[in-house]
Amino acid sequence: MTSVPLPVLMPALPEILLAVGAMVLLMIGAFLGEKSTSTITGLAIALLVFVLGLLVVAPPYGTTFGGSFVLDSFARFIKILSVGGSAIAIAMSIGFARAEKFDRFELPILMVLATVGMGIIVSARDMIALYMGVELMSLALYVIAAFNRDNLRSTEAGLKYFVLGALSSGMLLYGASLIYGFTGHVGFAGIAASIKANGAGVGFVFGLVFVLAGLSFKISAVPFHMWTPDVYEGAPTPITAFFAAAPKVAAMGMFLRIVVDGFGPATAQWQQVVVFIAIASMTLGAFAGIGQKNIKRLMAYSSIANMGFALVGLAAGTAKGVEGVILFMTIYLAMTLGAFAVILSLRRKEGMVEDMSELAGLSRTHPAVAWSLAILLFSLIGIPPLAGFYGKFAVFGAAVEQKLWTLAILGIITSAIGAYYYLRLIKIMFFDQPVAAFEPMPMEQKVVLTGSVAFVLLFVVFGNPLIEASARAAKSLF
Amino acid sequence: METIILFAPLVGAIICGFGWRLIGEKAGQVITTAMIFLAAALSWQIFLTFDGETRSIPILDWIVSGTLHSEWAIRLDRMTAIMLVVVNTVSALVHLYSFGYMAHDENWHEGEHYKARFFAYLSFFTFAMLMLVTSDNLVQMFFGWEGVGVASYLLIGFYYRKPSANAAAIKAFVVNRVGDFGFALGIFALYFLTDSIKFDDVFAAAPALAETNLTFLWSEWNAANLIGVLLFIGAMGKSAQLILHTWLPDAMEGPTPVSALIHAATMVTAGVFLVCRMSPLYEYAPQATAFITVLGATTAFFAATVGLVQNDIKRVIAYSTCSQLGYMFVAAGVGVYSVAMFHLFTHAFFKAMLFLGAGSVIHATHHEQDMRNYGGLRKKIPLTFWAMMIGTLAITGVGIPLTHYGFAGFLSKDAVIESAWVGSSYAFWLLVVAACMTSFYSWRLMFMTFYGTSHAHGHDDHGHGHDAHGHDDHHHEPHESPMVMLIPLGVLALGAIFSGMLWYKVFFGEEAAVRNWFGMEAAAHGEAHGETAAADHGTEAAATETHDDSAATEAAPAEGTAVASEEHAAEGEAAADAHGPAGVAPKGALLMLPFTPEEQAVVDTRLDAEKAAKAEHAPTTMINAAHVVPAWVKVSPFIAMLIGFGLAWLFYIKDPSLPRRLATQQRPLYLFLLNKWYFDELYDVVFVRPAKWLGNFLWKKGDGNVIDGSLNGVAMGIIPFFTRLAGRAQSGYLFHYAFAMVMGIVILVTWMTLFGGAK
Amino acid sequence: MVGLEHYLTVAAALFVIGIFGIFLNRKNVIVILMSIELMLLAVNINLVAFSSYAGDLVGQVFTMFVLTVAAAEAAIGLAILVVFFRNRGTIEVEDVNVMKG
Repeated sequence: MTSVPLPVLMPALPEILLAVGAMVLLMIGAFLGEKSTSTITGLAIALLVFVLGLLVVAPPYGTTFGGSFVLDSFARFIKILSVGGSAIAIAMSIGFARAEKFDRFELPILMVLATVGMGIIVSARDMIALYMGVELMSLALYVIAAFNRDNLRSTEAGLKYFVLGALSSGMLLYGASLIYGFTGHVGFAGIAASIKANGAGVGFVFGLVFVLAGLSFKISAVPFHMWTPDVYEGAPTPITAFFAAAPKVAAMGMFLRIVVDGFGPATAQWQQVVVFIAIASMTLGAFAGIGQKNIKRLMAYSSIANMGFALVGLAAGTAKGVEGVILFMTIYLAMTLGAFAVILSLRRKEGMVEDMSELAGLSRTHPAVAWSLAILLFSLIGIPPLAGFYGKFAVFGAAVEQKLWTLAILGIITSAIGAYYYLRLIKIMFFDQPVAAFEPMPMEQKVVLTGSVAFVLLFVVFGNPLIEASARAAKSLF
Repeated sequence: METIILFAPLVGAIICGFGWRLIGEKAGQVITTAMIFLAAALSWQIFLTFDGETRSIPILDWIVSGTLHSEWAIRLDRMTAIMLVVVNTVSALVHLYSFGYMAHDENWHEGEHYKARFFAYLSFFTFAMLMLVTSDNLVQMFFGWEGVGVASYLLIGFYYRKPSANAAAIKAFVVNRVGDFGFALGIFALYFLTDSIKFDDVFAAAPALAETNLTFLWSEWNAANLIGVLLFIGAMGKSAQLILHTWLPDAMEGPTPVSALIHAATMVTAGVFLVCRMSPLYEYAPQATAFITVLGATTAFFAATVGLVQNDIKRVIAYSTCSQLGYMFVAAGVGVYSVAMFHLFTHAFFKAMLFLGAGSVIHATHHEQDMRNYGGLRKKIPLTFWAMMIGTLAITGVGIPLTHYGFAGFLSKDAVIESAWVGSSYAFWLLVVAACMTSFYSWRLMFMTFYGTSHAHGHDDHGHGHDAHGHDDHHHEPHESPMVMLIPLGVLALGAIFSGMLWYKVFFGEEAAVRNWFGMEAAAHGEAHGETAAADHGTEAAATETHDDSAATEAAPAEGTAVASEEHAAEGEAAADAHGPAGVAPKGALLMLPFTPEEQAVVDTRLDAEKAAKAEHAPTTMINAAHVVPAWVKVSPFIAMLIGFGLAWLFYIKDPSLPRRLATQQRPLYLFLLNKWYFDELYDVVFVRPAKWLGNFLWKKGDGNVIDGSLNGVAMGIIPFFTRLAGRAQSGYLFHYAFAMVMGIVILVTWMTLFGGAK
Repeated sequence: MVGLEHYLTVAAALFVIGIFGIFLNRKNVIVILMSIELMLLAVNINLVAFSSYAGDLVGQVFTMFVLTVAAAEAAIGLAILVVFFRNRGTIEVEDVNVMKG
């Protein structure tokens, strides 16, 4: 019997730590029961922060598991974002859990497990690892979508998410199988080499379309977005906040890696798919958002539109474009978390409110919150000199550089249309007659909101290191 | 110290404007006034001790973008020193005066706070004006230029409840924008050609600019002339010269202290300041200066004619301001910038005083501004009367002919007219006639206001606007103004009497004294030669050469040297062209080159040959030449003044019915003048109505139907349609969702198979 | 002789049937779960066929992973279905439409 050497584990250290940590937390929870929720939440945050620190301070760069897992500067950047996003989302759920008597210790554990999945997908360099990562993330997400198991909306959201997610997994897998069959490889490097050698055949293009469709589901790009509004609305708000932030960023990272790393030589092919879903996402996000009354649904359409904008940068297919996408996603993450901090604070004695009209007169009842949200919304519209402008500028600029005029112009038009619903929200907050005030905002949400607004405002001054970091990350993909 | 002068008014404005609720209105007023007095005191110190050496005091880096590097710096030279004194002194006195004038104002209701706002605006204006005069580069100047525009807008429209005040404020703003457009184009052109906006760099490049051609508006222009004209268009707007003058009379809607500060003494002189500041450029732009001369003279004449028949006391003075600004531009246009500054300096004193005096009269008669309702006020407000008398003596130019003793206006105006004779006979004659009319309308103002019988009571019932306020009983007797208003009048009176005599020598005396005062090169010949040398040999030896040459030529008064240096200059300019714009900026605050040979030939025919031969200095420069004009030229303004006085006396003391008869007899002329040459009506027809029509058309038809129509169509029709569609697609049914995904796949696969380049 | 294309055809047919099962079926969510299994099995057939055709084991390894994950997925699907049933009292596909728009 030959001894198989143990693979180098260091590059996967963040994921290993998270996975082991999650198991330990699960054990603690299982033994201590419901009363341990706050302990476990705290520990989960500590764990994520620890891993975040590891990624920031001493990232163990390298490739392992036979080349199917890599930690490079790109993976590190996206992982920092998604781990950070998860930590913040868990932190923001504390106040909610306390107020709603919603203390189940599994929630933070599931979020950590989903984060493990996110870590794997941005590092995956072959189809199997990719699929496993996607499923690890998705299975956790299905469960937390339906987490409020006594609530019809929440369980319906979970069910819809599960069924459509399974369909998308099927598509992803079917595509993967075709690509495997027609290129003979599951590793990205092998696939790329094969395309380079043999060209992109019909079978491969079929597979490409299916894989991209499966991945588009994860970033909720049109027409694979149908789950998004319902899940955003149905899931408990802190979970929606989580959905909107970390998994989106990680899935976008996965998307970037597979098209650049795996399908790089077939850029002409995937570019068309990306252009199509980018246009569809931007347009639908802008139009459908207008009709919304529920603020969480609105955020769903907002995130659909934003994914469209991000894909515009990817459609350029250049390092500049990828850099733009990374920057855009970073800014998107900050803005989204800030906006959800506000949405989470919309609570009266009788419970959460989600209707946009309830924000009426917020500027008089809670001026600081209203101004913060207004700044975030202006940033989402893309008004300079707020951060959102620079994100859009980066992706549209990359598209223009590649002469994708139509895409850039459509992006700007849909931005303008989409501005309507943000502005309407501002109008409601500042010009409508106030309704009853909300409960005071919990500390952790205040911190997140302040941080987010500060980021948005100060990006213009201190944004350079971030831009440079995303440029480095983008470079490591090419 | 300069920094304190510059920022003290700003600090005052900020404290008073934003902090008066905390510290109270009175404290705000006191603080702004104290700040300005501080600045004024420091300004006088600088003015009296300044050595003429140009220096730059950097404050901060302002704009750094590409080759555009603009520091925020104070350029301190004689020009700046003069302007600092003028601005801060008048501003300080106006602040003080406003304590009295603004104490009760019937445009505001009981308990309304307006004083702090007023003082904050005044201080802000002062800061902006200081920014303008201390600027080291064109962009900074433009900043100050627009700053005073804003302050002027705010102050003209200070009585914002009065529609006429608002209209006047808007008019001033809009007309000034026309000028600013020219100014901005000039700055752009300078930056385009010299790659710098710093005065020193621009001045250094001026000789080269004179050799450059520039395409603008479909034709070729000489760059120096074009830029000169563009900058002058800016000056025309700010200084209310003909074509762009219409806003100034309307600006009298503002409170009277504002008229004194902004629309008489300081802001309106910014145009003159600009032309003098850019003198190193204008010296190389003969067509542009000729244009300035003609336009200035025409304005002086035009405004004086209109001033003859106006009845509003402030409007008379406003037209007089307009006219006097024309004098200054003539002086600048013929090349004696020091004289332009001289007139600016003296004019600031006597015109501010006339305005403040008029304010005092208005205050005394309870906001009555129509001179026909005055009369016999001499006894009732004697101190104001004497102040106004001094102002009138100053503006009409009373003095002892052929000596240097007289009121401020006598010296400076005569200097302008004598220079005009040398430079342009057109300007000379218009100015002399204007001097006559100046005298007439000034005395007319005096006679109608202070002499004769009181007309005030005859007009009680038709609205001085106070009857409704119910304090007519004690208010209808004119009363002398309080001390805070009279002290500024007294101080300005000193200026109006003595400022001409005291500083005559350094503005318009011996050429050497003037050059020394402004920190210019020691002698004209030397400078011309120095310039040549610098251009000729490049920059390396320029400094030493300049020195040697000036020392050598200083003692040589012979005309031959001057001619020789002229030839050199011609060569030098040609050489400068070959060398590119690598010149050095001329030293000092101004540049006044000697005549070119052609000019000299023309000038010689105008001078008194006998005097010229005897003169200590050959008349090769404008200042020297202006001193040797024929005696009748020197006396002519005085005679014009006497004629004007005599006519006024005849019309308003001797035979008060004469004006009416003359007006009836010469009705068309009278109406023509009364309606200010129909400029407003003309503009109304040519610009305002077409613009309104176009605006209306674009609004109703263009915007309303086309843009709104299509936008509304999109916004109200198409977008909601798509929104509903998207909403309907999001049906809530799982199978629809799945179907959408599958359709997505199908569409993509089909597309890719057909067109996707699947090979 | 049964060739690669036959396997692929069968797999494609199964996959399409699975997809149709998801969006044509209006009755029972359980049927959807079955359709999902069908799709995954189609993928497995594909993978194994390719693997055997290319003489490369990776495809079969992939299949093992897919099978495992499919089991987990089915478990979670059923669990979610159960909690949904508790709230709604029905698992008719047409009744899963509280949220829309």
